Amino acid sequence: MSVFVIGYYTILIAASCLAVYFERRRVFMLLFSLTLVSFVAGIIGGVGALRTITTLAAVLSLAAGVSYAFKEFLVQIARPGLARELRTAPLTAAFGMFVIFTYAIAGIFAPWIAPHGQAEVISTSFAPPDANMLLGADQLGRDIFSRIIYGARNTVGLALAATILAFVMGAFAGLLAAVKGGWFDQFMGRFADVIMSVPSLIFALLMLSIFGTNLFVIVVVVAVIYSPRVFRLTRAVAGNVVVMDYIEAAKLRGEGDWYLIRREILPNSTAPLVAEFGLEFCFVFLLIAGLSFLGLGIQPPTADWGSMVRENATLISFGDVTPLIPAAAIALLTVAVNFVVDWMLFRSSGLKG
Amino acid sequence: MSDIFKLVMKRLGLGLVTLLVVSILIFFAVELLPGDIAQAVLGQGATEETVATLRERMGLNDPAIVRYLDWLGGAVRGDFGVSLISGGSVGDAITQRFLNTLFLATYAAVIAVPFAIVLGVLVALMRDTLFDRAANILTLTSISSPEFFLGYVLILYLSVKTGWFPAISSLSAGMSFGELLERTFLPALTLVLVVTAHMMRMTRAAIINLLASPYIEMARLKGMPPWKVIVKHALPNAWAPIINVVALNLAYLITGVVLVEVVFVYPGIGQLLVDAVAKRDFPIVQACCLIFAATFILLNLAADVGSILTNPRLRHPK
Amino acid sequence: MGRFSDKDVLLDIEDLRIEGYSDETWVPIIKGVDLKLHRGEVMGLIGESGAGKSTIGAAAMGYARDGTRISGGSIEFDGMELTTASEGERRALRGSRIAYVAQSAAASFNPAHKIIDQHTEAPVHYRIKKRMEAQEDAKELYERLRLPNPQEIGFRYPHQVSGGQLQRAMTAMAMSCRPDLIIFDEPTTALDVTTQIEVLAAIRDIVDQFNTAAIYITHDLAVVAQMADTIKVLLKGEEVEQASTDRMLSDPQEDYTKSLWAVRSFKRPQKARPTDGTKPIISVRGVDASYTGGDKVLDDVSFDIYPGMTVAVVGESGSGKSTTARVITGLLPPSKGDVLLNGEPLPPKYTNRTRDQLRQAQMIYQMADTALNPKVRIREIIGRPAQFYSGLKGPALKQRVDELLDLIELEPSKYYNRYPPELSGGQKQRIGIARALAAEPDFIICDEVTSALDQLVAEGILKLLDRLQRELNLAYMFITHDLATVRSIADEVVVMQNGRVVEQGPKDQMFTPPHHPYTDLLLSSVPEMDPNWLTTLLEERGVDNIGEAGSETKDGSEKTQSA
Repeated sequence: MSVFVIGYYTILIAASCLAVYFERRRVFMLLFSLTLVSFVAGIIGGVGALRTITTLAAVLSLAAGVSYAFKEFLVQIARPGLARELRTAPLTAAFGMFVIFTYAIAGIFAPWIAPHGQAEVISTSFAPPDANMLLGADQLGRDIFSRIIYGARNTVGLALAATILAFVMGAFAGLLAAVKGGWFDQFMGRFADVIMSVPSLIFALLMLSIFGTNLFVIVVVVAVIYSPRVFRLTRAVAGNVVVMDYIEAAKLRGEGDWYLIRREILPNSTAPLVAEFGLEFCFVFLLIAGLSFLGLGIQPPTADWGSMVRENATLISFGDVTPLIPAAAIALLTVAVNFVVDWMLFRSSGLKG
Repeated sequence: MSDIFKLVMKRLGLGLVTLLVVSILIFFAVELLPGDIAQAVLGQGATEETVATLRERMGLNDPAIVRYLDWLGGAVRGDFGVSLISGGSVGDAITQRFLNTLFLATYAAVIAVPFAIVLGVLVALMRDTLFDRAANILTLTSISSPEFFLGYVLILYLSVKTGWFPAISSLSAGMSFGELLERTFLPALTLVLVVTAHMMRMTRAAIINLLASPYIEMARLKGMPPWKVIVKHALPNAWAPIINVVALNLAYLITGVVLVEVVFVYPGIGQLLVDAVAKRDFPIVQACCLIFAATFILLNLAADVGSILTNPRLRHPK
Repeated sequence: MGRFSDKDVLLDIEDLRIEGYSDETWVPIIKGVDLKLHRGEVMGLIGESGAGKSTIGAAAMGYARDGTRISGGSIEFDGMELTTASEGERRALRGSRIAYVAQSAAASFNPAHKIIDQHTEAPVHYRIKKRMEAQEDAKELYERLRLPNPQEIGFRYPHQVSGGQLQRAMTAMAMSCRPDLIIFDEPTTALDVTTQIEVLAAIRDIVDQFNTAAIYITHDLAVVAQMADTIKVLLKGEEVEQASTDRMLSDPQEDYTKSLWAVRSFKRPQKARPTDGTKPIISVRGVDASYTGGDKVLDDVSFDIYPGMTVAVVGESGSGKSTTARVITGLLPPSKGDVLLNGEPLPPKYTNRTRDQLRQAQMIYQMADTALNPKVRIREIIGRPAQFYSGLKGPALKQRVDELLDLIELEPSKYYNRYPPELSGGQKQRIGIARALAAEPDFIICDEVTSALDQLVAEGILKLLDRLQRELNLAYMFITHDLATVRSIADEVVVMQNGRVVEQGPKDQMFTPPHHPYTDLLLSSVPEMDPNWLTTLLEERGVDNIGEAGSETKDGSEKTQSA
């Protein structure tokens, strides 16, 4: 029994007792079940397992702390209406916003943050981390840390461009279909069905094999694949608005389609569309990451998270986690966006019901 | 019964038409290739003569519509033409790999489907508890992670660090079934993690949606205990959404399987497709795409037909 | 209240307080209500929307809906305190001793089970009856409730049965364990008047026969007068007053109650058609119409509307009255016949009409919520037609909007910059009227403009419309199913059934016999404030001749599908 183990259980049990004393039932249940789990984990995994649990708990509480502080920060700087809504946001959403904010900073200021250039060979291949290279070198001797920073700009930028294009095409078609109705609506609906009946990754592979893999092709292909989803959602959202009497009133007044879309439908569709933009970004981002992992995305030497995983995958068989960092970066951003979207969806559904 | 029969037939017909349109799309996409296909395949250095030979061999001198009908006719019989690179039959190259992929997907589905549905229903019943929130965060994390991330994490912790399972799924002919299950455990587990998360979330949403219906409140106000409300009143109406969830996620497995196969070097059709795309071996690309798309469409079709068949309003017409 | 003695108290609610969760806080919905119900007594709970009637009904079963909680007071049912009882104890009462009949039977029956299986569920669960006994009992109850084909109807699925029949089947289901108390939560609100009668008659009979106590929740005074021994009036979660039905009707004490009773008194003098050869402003001539691929919904519809007059178009759901409005506005081009505006034929599709033609015919909608864009400010909602048709801009536009707001009796400076969701139902409806007026029309279609409003507010709207008509010489086409509204404001009446005009003429003629049989059925089915009205009517018609005669078959089936 080391000091660590004794301290570990003492703190847990003391905290549980305090929770009971202050009648915080939930906190107590959480702490005490953690204690019980620790007994089992400690017996099976030894001190190592307990240390892992401690690390995890520390990371979790750090994340929670950062989110809490960031939320307060946002509440302070936002205008009153927004601030009130932010105050009710769950910690997960605040965490998501914080992560998105960090990525945005990293992406925008990449050349100033990264210590080296993304294509700059500064060392031998797979050189271990040192004072100069935070995470060591990749298979060609480039600084992995710098490439991850640049990846924020390249990978996220590409996904953002594709999402925006998909959104513009899909949303525009969806709004038009909702207003026009009739054969245009029918035709667009069928067309969307056909594109959506091919799995997205497979469709992307087919298109890229034909048109090659330059950035422009990737953006267009991905946008074409995802615009039917946006189309469907926009059509559904706008469809709920179009049946309203105020649209009928505007039509009977003799207003044109463009006025209907701009002044009557769009203001009532923004909340679900913004949430959908977040979701769509996640899908696009994962697809593009998958494509570059397969070597069909952004081409070297430009830094890109998906291909970095592939290039350095051999390190994993030596038990090195470095190649997982860009993959984790992808996962973290997607989780963050999803957290925020979750909150927005909850909010918009809560307002309705 | 005639109403429901008509609906099912209509849906099947629509599925067939979609499949046909998709096959046209897949075939003629290659026609969109800028310039000459034979030239593109052989590269700039090719002589006139070799290009002409290849054109002959690919049948490029026929009009496109004839070649499409030939290709489609062959595809229905399992003949997808000849590989541009190896010169071997595409059908032969695909068959074994397709079976391997099917095996992997089935392996994952058999674990994931019951697991996810039970968990999904549980989470729905315990909504807004700590357990529900934890599950929400976990599943969200899981669906947000790229498949290759989960795959490598599993390799790192369950293979490299502990040595419990092989990192690479090399299959050989004379393996026992147990050995097969062990070799393919990690790729299957990766798929299970992703699909379970998706399925749990969708099942939860479907059940919660159902529990808000007035007839559920009526059952409660009739004094029925909670388990009876669920089993007798919610479940019979939940089949359609659950069938949808299952089919959608099986369809999702198809896309996920490509990346997972590459991570674990699994000899499946996804790996083949990725290789063919890199080498621009169009007959193989087309064949793989058609197979993936057909499976996807069939699963969606099955979901639709399933929800029609389990809809009490349609099952008992007026 | 002499009929009931204090010994027989079944339900005793004291100082009940219920809170609802909204905007992250608990706000009170019920603010201390007392209620004492005796065995065999039927109490009517009435009040406008938001009065908390339904919430009290659920609380009487010890049930708080999701998002609400009982925060204080006591609910004693037959000596048992429900607020402190365990969930299991409370559950054991539901279905066996206290039963519930919901507003929408179509949504409250489980679509996956046969009606009779849902009926027998409670008695079998409580081991009161064996399955077969319960089934026999169900058939007997169906017979008593005069459901057609009582031996077989239970073996159908809910969607195979019409709305009025389902509502009776649900009443039968509530009776399955012979409860001491039944809560009826607006059981006839979703039904047409002719269907409503038979459900009312059935409910009253069965409650009488088994001497069951009941709480009857409704917003319709005339309905509650037929059903209840005692009436309790609620307003915003508080009791206004309570008295026996006779006393409540003849001698209400509180101002609020008096105003409710007075609503139906508004009447304006009837006008006759001009005799100087003025052309009708709108003339519908021999119109047939159908929706794509469907059956004919309008069959040879003709009528005229003269300037400055109000024509009420009356009929039940599915009669084609709203479709007629769609034909006039050009949303649904007729398959035969045409519509004349001031003697000139209008193009059948609205897209082909000129701005001036569009301007002259305006529309006011039933649901003010969906008729006003929630994301557009009042000044733009009202200002846009003025800008669009008259090209007003800047200060002139502002002045016009102020003028219109004055016209509808809303303070311009207060409402100019607000959004529709910030307004009350009546205010929204006024804004809808102002939008129609902004186009300076000669003719306005009013589509059930008062039916979504509480009665007091509705009366205000009717008075406003009447004043505007006199000041601006407007012609109204008034679509409604409510004959009380017709009585108060119409000059002429058009009665529609199944897409045909059954009868038309000046109002005084329409309300004096002889009538077309359907008009007769419609007129006599509208509940009146007289507590003996239903009894008298049933005697006149004979028990077996109520309902179904006129309209049930067609629109009843539509209702089950849409639910």
